Amino acid sequence: MKPLLEIKNLKTRFYTQDGVVKAVNDVSYSMNSGEILGVVGESGCGKSVHALSMMQLIPDPPGKITQGEVWLDGQDLLTLSEEEMQKVRGRDIAMIFQDPMTSLNPVFTVGFQIIEAIQLHTDMTKDEATHRAGELLDLVGIPGAAERLNDYPHQFSGGMRQRAMIAMGLSCEPKLLIADEPTTALDVTIQAQIIDLVNKLQAELGMAIMWITHDLGVVAEIAHTINVMYAGSIIETGKIRNIYKKTRHPYTIGLLGSLPRLDDAPGTELVSIPGLPPDLLALPEGCPFAARCEYRVEQCVVENPPLVEIDGPGHSVACWRWEEIAGIESK
Amino acid sequence: MSQINPEDFTVTDFAIREHRSLWGDAWKRLISSNTARLGMFIVILFVFSATFSHYFWKYEPKKDLDYSLKLKAPNLVVTEEIPSIHPFGTDKLGRDIFRRVVHGGWNSLRVGIVAVGISLLFGGVIGLLTGFYESTTMTRVERIVLYGITGFLMGMLSAWIANQFLQLVIFTILGILAGYFEGLWAGKYYRAVFFGALGALLNFGLALFVGLPVALVCGSLGLLAGLLLSVTLDGRFFSNVMMRAMDMILSFPGYLLAIAIVAFLGPGLGKGMIAIGVVGIPVYARLTRSAVLSVVNKEYILAAHSVGESHGRIIFRHITPNILSPIIVQTTMGLANAILSAAALGFLGLGAIPPEPEWGAMLGDSYRYLTSGAWWAVIYPGLAIMLSVLGFNLLGDGLRDALDPKLRT
Repeated sequence: MKPLLEIKNLKTRFYTQDGVVKAVNDVSYSMNSGEILGVVGESGCGKSVHALSMMQLIPDPPGKITQGEVWLDGQDLLTLSEEEMQKVRGRDIAMIFQDPMTSLNPVFTVGFQIIEAIQLHTDMTKDEATHRAGELLDLVGIPGAAERLNDYPHQFSGGMRQRAMIAMGLSCEPKLLIADEPTTALDVTIQAQIIDLVNKLQAELGMAIMWITHDLGVVAEIAHTINVMYAGSIIETGKIRNIYKKTRHPYTIGLLGSLPRLDDAPGTELVSIPGLPPDLLALPEGCPFAARCEYRVEQCVVENPPLVEIDGPGHSVACWRWEEIAGIESK
Repeated sequence: MSQINPEDFTVTDFAIREHRSLWGDAWKRLISSNTARLGMFIVILFVFSATFSHYFWKYEPKKDLDYSLKLKAPNLVVTEEIPSIHPFGTDKLGRDIFRRVVHGGWNSLRVGIVAVGISLLFGGVIGLLTGFYESTTMTRVERIVLYGITGFLMGMLSAWIANQFLQLVIFTILGILAGYFEGLWAGKYYRAVFFGALGALLNFGLALFVGLPVALVCGSLGLLAGLLLSVTLDGRFFSNVMMRAMDMILSFPGYLLAIAIVAFLGPGLGKGMIAIGVVGIPVYARLTRSAVLSVVNKEYILAAHSVGESHGRIIFRHITPNILSPIIVQTTMGLANAILSAAALGFLGLGAIPPEPEWGAMLGDSYRYLTSGAWWAVIYPGLAIMLSVLGFNLLGDGLRDALDPKLRT
């Protein structure tokens, strides 16, 4: 089957006064329709920027996509002009943002904004679009949906706003929904509700979802596949089972190790990865994680490891020593 | 035991309050302030008297002349000597000052509205465009238009040097070409060479009709413009050229520039309006641009992009309503400023043409008679200027407090 989304060698740069920020470095992967992909990594590792690059929404200037192809359903998005891109956005790819407090325009009613999104890509009349907007709000579980269309965003709670944003994202039934840390600004109970909602919607509507987050717990609950990103590149990718059970990259091991576990003995200290991520203005020659890695050897500093497939399809790692690490870890 | 019926009780839900819109809220805050109410009262009085007198109290300045009533002090009763009532007295031509002050209000109002309208329209559009495209990818049509404008601005210098209108056209065409053929040899050095040579040759050739030295200067300016236009294909460049042009206007003292423009265009109320309007453009452009910059990176604008809205729609539907409040305040204050500027021009004899009643011109006509004791000919137009300016300023202050609660102390 042909994948829905295929990204090849995507590179994004920001040309700032201090130098060139290498925000996304040679990211390649593919996604099937109906798949939920989790993209994890710490702040500033290029998760959001690579998603915005796909939609060509990075601020330009200073940002620039210098290389790559983004194939969505047989169409290379990066070759499209801004006008053509405006038709793709919202219709084929939709996006939900991190902070529901600021992602709705405060001067318009929620209904107006959803109706606007619907009417942009369909021929619906105002009445039909209003009806549809009511259905969508109902679908995302807002009680009394039809009446709440006339409310302003400040009359909604944070969770409700995020639901409204999801409704707006779903309005034209996109093939791909990018959720950029949609639960980060919400408290845990609301997080759980939103995750349930997205799971339910995905089962009903069958679109592909890219879930960007730094919360490994959230991803474990929702994703089929996981991309782990570090310093603008993917360093480990695979089916969720492989990532959690057969972790191979030292960074992923560190990330998982830094999570508290229910079965830890009381008083166990949380492990943290020493050091800081590299400066994206001056990436090291070799593996970007080398400076913080406990398995570092000479080769790591000199040469950047490519992403290679291990244990059969569905699990790739960018590490020179994954075989040895596999040995150490399984002990 | 009696049954308690829950329907007998009405429960007040404190969490739900009455719907109030942003503007409703601002209005409540505005009328709760004494100074703002005073300002509003003065402004309403001023606007009402000006419009009412213009439409229902005909006045023909050219026929209003009566030497027998020259410089009479204010009187409220008819005497033998003065057969008519003049609450503000009369001026050197025996004209009733009250009548002229009231009718002068119409002129001041017109100047205020037209001049601020010019500033707001041009300044606002410049501010919106420069702020928005600072970090947004342009579509092809937008690029052609914006590059045309940039070329036009860059052509002003050489058009001025060569004193040729055609220079402007050529630079504009150069900008449009650079925008239209955006993909031609993109990233190659010969793109810059081609456009640079094109600009240099066209301008050199055209300016050769004037003289060789001029042609050399214009040719090198054309080379520079061609290089810049072909190499930098982004909104930041457009924004830079625009804002530097604004800086140039701003670097002149306001009144001096207005006088210069009037001197260039010739006197008259209409020309005065244009002059005052042009001087005000950079103020509004900067204000709008800064407001746009503070809004354009908000997530709801990104969200609007991500559902595929066009740029025009985002600028006018999503950004404009969010930046209205500082602009409303500046506009109100700007009206006061425009009235003052018009009075200054009138005083210098550059605004309204003489028999026309205009406050500044009335002051200029009468200050000589102050030494002979005719204080009324100067005081009343002066008071009218002061009060109208005070009114607009108080209202503007009140609006600022009402629309931007963060500034309240």
